[in-house]
Amino acid sequence: MAAIEIKNVKKVYGQGDAATVALKGVDFSADTGNVVLLMGPSGAGKSTLLTIMGALQTATSGKVEIDGQDISQLKEKDRSRLRLNKLGFILQAYNLVPYLTVKEQFQLVDKVKKTGNLRQEELKDLLADLGIENLVKKYPENLSGGQKQRVAIARAMYANPKILLADEPTASLDSERVEEVGRLFKKLAKDDRKAIILVTHDPRLEKYADHIYDMMDGQLSQRK
Amino acid sequence: MFLALKEIKHEKMRYGLIVFMIFLIAYMILATWGLAYGLARENTVALEGWQTKSVVLNKNANLFMNSSILTKDDLKKINLTDKEAVVGELQVVAKKKGKTGINAQYMGVKKGEFIYKDQDVIAGRRAKSKYEVTADSSFKDKGYKLGDKVTLNGSDHKYTIVGFVKDAKINIEPIMYGFLPAWKELKNVAPGIEASGIISQRKLSVKGKNFKTYGIKEFTQKLPGHSEQNMTFELMIAFMFIISLAIVAVFLYILTIQKLPNYAVLRAQGVPAKTLIWATVSQSLLLVTSALVLALLAIWGTAAAIPASVPMAFTPGIFVATIGGMLVMALLGGLNPVRTILKIDPVQAIGG
Ligand SMILES: Nc1ncnc2c1ncn2[C@@H]1O[C@H](COP(=O)(O)OP(=O)(O)OP(=O)(O)O)[C@@H](O)[C@H]1O
Ligand SMILES: [Mg+2]
Repeated sequence: MAAIEIKNVKKVYGQGDAATVALKGVDFSADTGNVVLLMGPSGAGKSTLLTIMGALQTATSGKVEIDGQDISQLKEKDRSRLRLNKLGFILQAYNLVPYLTVKEQFQLVDKVKKTGNLRQEELKDLLADLGIENLVKKYPENLSGGQKQRVAIARAMYANPKILLADEPTASLDSERVEEVGRLFKKLAKDDRKAIILVTHDPRLEKYADHIYDMMDGQLSQRK
Repeated sequence: MFLALKEIKHEKMRYGLIVFMIFLIAYMILATWGLAYGLARENTVALEGWQTKSVVLNKNANLFMNSSILTKDDLKKINLTDKEAVVGELQVVAKKKGKTGINAQYMGVKKGEFIYKDQDVIAGRRAKSKYEVTADSSFKDKGYKLGDKVTLNGSDHKYTIVGFVKDAKINIEPIMYGFLPAWKELKNVAPGIEASGIISQRKLSVKGKNFKTYGIKEFTQKLPGHSEQNMTFELMIAFMFIISLAIVAVFLYILTIQKLPNYAVLRAQGVPAKTLIWATVSQSLLLVTSALVLALLAIWGTAAAIPASVPMAFTPGIFVATIGGMLVMALLGGLNPVRTILKIDPVQAIGG
């Protein structure tokens, strides 16, 4: 079954003369066990699509299903719960809580989501895979951009979401790290049966993708 | 609470300063209020100590006991019980040799009366003979000792201080308790004049050709300068109170507003709004509570350290109002941004 199913989704920002059509009827789906890339030039509508399937905002029209559930009519409170339980986000900016150590970022997840998070040894493995096992006591301000990015990835995965959504997850990683993170995404998709959707400009990730979509001017076409 | 505490822990300096600022405000409110109340209280503390409910004075004295006189005939018309004390009050300058004089109120009483018996003697004993007096403890603070001899208004006779009493103040002046015969001598009254007035612990309503009964409220309001002073204090404190509380609320509001970008991320990750609201409110309350505890400790220390000549006094109401007002402001400051927190658009978190 598709983890995410999107049919004929349109998104218009603003009204009247100021209206911007960001999505012009997009069909998209992502299955569990797959890594899917969303690529395309700036302003094409990638983030818009990602936030709609991440239940962060609603589409102007069309149908959005997450894990079999139609979310187009959900209230913000229910969308919030859905995000907490089923979705993991790796965001471009402000990823981490500035006054929590790396370890406490995970504790915060425990506070708000009591069940279904990774076990301590699973977390340890994950941190080791990402090469950040020695950073648990540090505050985000003392981490490099790449380290922050990897902590954000770990944080998103810690809640053990079914679907992982990432906006430019490799933006500040060096080549070697990009390959590692790519492999990790692939492994998580295959072994843990997650659906992973990555918005990226980074061609180095292409070889880890099961499917690649190109976004252009609010329209989507499948390349792979 | 998790977020609230961790944030404070991480930004000790910043939150330390905030607590310090709120502490200063709370301390300022308490200190000013305590000083104002301490001073105001010196107008009436003796009257309160006597548990005065009404005062009988000469009709033409304009409620001013110092200029009131009651005659033997007047006194005969009043049914005196052990709830009444006949007193003779006189403004005096008490002077010890080699020292500057102190303005005081000589209060001549009778041995059997409650005012005489209820004196709160903290050193020495009560006066026994005509030329002995007990003086308010402020005399002691000014260097007077038991056994000191003073002249009153340059009297020929010297008066010996045989005891010090607590809270013997009226109209911001210390009282010297003595006896009515000495009062007559000091005031040099015409024959037939017995006293200034009657202090009663009952609600009297006697009336005569020369005299009238006044309720304690009316009497204290007419104490020279008292109501004007109180009005000034009350307004001053009200202004200060309202302004400082507004500052605290606005401050906490700004503090919360600064967290919003970060909250957008947490909302995007599905952290319930409830958690974030509780984080801000509990943090506000925590900061204000710590500041209040510090302020109470500091005010306690100040009241103990301050010289006795600068009176500082409190009622439970002062503490309740300050603590209550501060906590309400903490709630307001913390809750004010709730609507904003609820309206946070998690999409902002994506940032691109
Ligand atoms: N909140 C908004 N209000 C109005 N217009 C918006 C809003 N967000 C995005 N847009 C517009 O929608 C279009 C798609 O934006 P989107 O952010 O989805 O692009 P993107 O593909 O993510 O670009 P980038 O690679 O630069 O991140 C753009 O024209 C943008 O200006
Ligand atoms: Mg984008």
